[in-house]
Amino acid sequence: PSLPSGWTADKDFKAVGGLSAAIQRNIEPVGPHFLAHARRKRHARTFSEDERI
Amino acid sequence: MGDAVNGASAETERFAIGISFGNTSSSIARISPEGKAEVIANEEGDRQIPSILSYIDGEEYHGTQAKAQLIRNSSNTVAYFRDYLGKDFKSIDATPCHQSAHPQQQDSTVAFTIRDTESETPNTVTVSEITTRHIRRLKQSATDFLGKEVNAAVITVPTNFTDAQREALVAASKAAGVEVLQLIAEPVAAVMAYDARPEATVTDKLVVVADFGGTRSDVAVIACRGGMYTILATAHDYELGGASLDQVIIDHFAKEFMKKHKTDPREDARGLAKLKLEGEGTRKALSLSANAQLSIESLVDGIDYGSTVNRTRFELLSNKVFAQFTGLIEQVVKKAELDVLDIDEVIFSGGASHTPKIAQLAANIFPETTTILAPSTSTSAINPSELAARGAAFQASLVQEFDAEDIEQSIHPMVTVTPHLSKAIGVEFTSNNETSFQPLLNADTALPARRIAQYTTPKEGGDVLVRVCEGARKIKVTKPEPKAKEEKPADDEDSDFDSDDEEEEEDVREIVWKTEKPVAELAVKGVKAGSKVEVMVHVNPDLGLQIAVREVGGSTAVRGAINGSA
Repeated sequence: PSLPSGWTADKDFKAVGGLSAAIQRNIEPVGPHFLAHARRKRHARTFSEDERI
Repeated sequence: MGDAVNGASAETERFAIGISFGNTSSSIARISPEGKAEVIANEEGDRQIPSILSYIDGEEYHGTQAKAQLIRNSSNTVAYFRDYLGKDFKSIDATPCHQSAHPQQQDSTVAFTIRDTESETPNTVTVSEITTRHIRRLKQSATDFLGKEVNAAVITVPTNFTDAQREALVAASKAAGVEVLQLIAEPVAAVMAYDARPEATVTDKLVVVADFGGTRSDVAVIACRGGMYTILATAHDYELGGASLDQVIIDHFAKEFMKKHKTDPREDARGLAKLKLEGEGTRKALSLSANAQLSIESLVDGIDYGSTVNRTRFELLSNKVFAQFTGLIEQVVKKAELDVLDIDEVIFSGGASHTPKIAQLAANIFPETTTILAPSTSTSAINPSELAARGAAFQASLVQEFDAEDIEQSIHPMVTVTPHLSKAIGVEFTSNNETSFQPLLNADTALPARRIAQYTTPKEGGDVLVRVCEGARKIKVTKPEPKAKEEKPADDEDSDFDSDDEEEEEDVREIVWKTEKPVAELAVKGVKAGSKVEVMVHVNPDLGLQIAVREVGGSTAVRGAINGSA
């Protein structure tokens, strides 16, 4: 999509709205991706911190 | 001797396998040194080991040998006991056990009265003890095959297994010398059996797992997002399974027998047991070949009986039962508030899933884009009977090295209860006054999550606006022109499960995406003609977002963040 003329924003980024509320669900504790997720969550790490270790 | 050594140090090396423990049959599996899951055959050569124990003169028989005892020694044979574990006597359904040892009340638990020693007086054995003996035999078979003491396992259980049932199973396994590393849900194990294959790639998809067992059937809808699984809905039927199909065969042959001999073999306990055993074999043969025979020596009144049946006949007689199977699938999709068009994959699991017609009928419900993974519809399908055990073996190999405490912490609700996106997030496109939406993060994605995708830009290049939005999918129904292609063959009978069939046959239904709410706008300036832009969206658990957009090959990116609201 082309940029409409007259569109401006600070640093070319404009926040328009937030996301709708999330649903709390239970993920199944299986598989390598879950175990990675559990590790991050237990140690309060982010994706990039996790990759560095 | 071995026990003393194991007891001395709690830190003995673990050797874990995957076990699928069913009412009808159980399987054991391990990950081979080449990294592939394989199901282990027991000493009789069975990979699907009947969950049956039988006693003659104090001797214990297990699996297929015990199953044969259902004819001559039914009162000392225990079968179909998995669902009684950890249950109150009043809440169980004893129907499957009519032809074997009957369950009874003992205190708060279920027990069986069997002669399991050489003495004449019978003993009352609890269902926990029966389970322990069963698992001990499974453990022994795996140990014999692998030449190394198996002392741990991941066991599969139905999705609606209560905490009491889980605890009872863990305790019964422990008594058999098997440490339960983790109990995992059967449908999730089935999905994993497919996803853990080396050639599989991690994708976002919605999967229906149809687990058609011997005496019960369970269907689940699972959202697979970035390799993580979330169960969206489940449905259970405790009277539907392979046994329902066996009954069709039994009735068919019994009627044929009655025409000739004027006696009903179903009214004789031993005759019925013989018909059940042989009928099951005939039904299984019909899944593989177009013709199968049944022959029973001295079925009733000393009369030998032999006959054949072909698959077409069987399918005709089973129409009603087949409709129940497909009805269960439709029911669960509806329960998840989804449409059949949303489903990317249908995995058939469990013994009854070998029946070719069930998969074919199910394929008719779904659009052609849906992958139906059953032996009769896909050459890459894995044996449905082995899925749960393979998935469990895979999980066992993953958690084998962990400390028990580590596993417990990881499967704690603090970790597993996670916010999931309620709406899809994607990018909106405008071209020729028409807006379209392409989802990047699907609904029901567990957070935090990150996705990256590339989009083409207008041909002439220049400045580009990227609009990140929330979107919703709608089912668009268009009345086709008179000569539209038909979606379904017109072979449905008067089943009350597909009540909305009539409209479906006339309309062409498709998924369309609609933008619901804009989230952010980003501008990429001076994009070269014909190049692409890469959009990265990262969503935090608090619903905060980081968005970055850059021209593919370009070095600078436009980024921005939105603070979370929740």
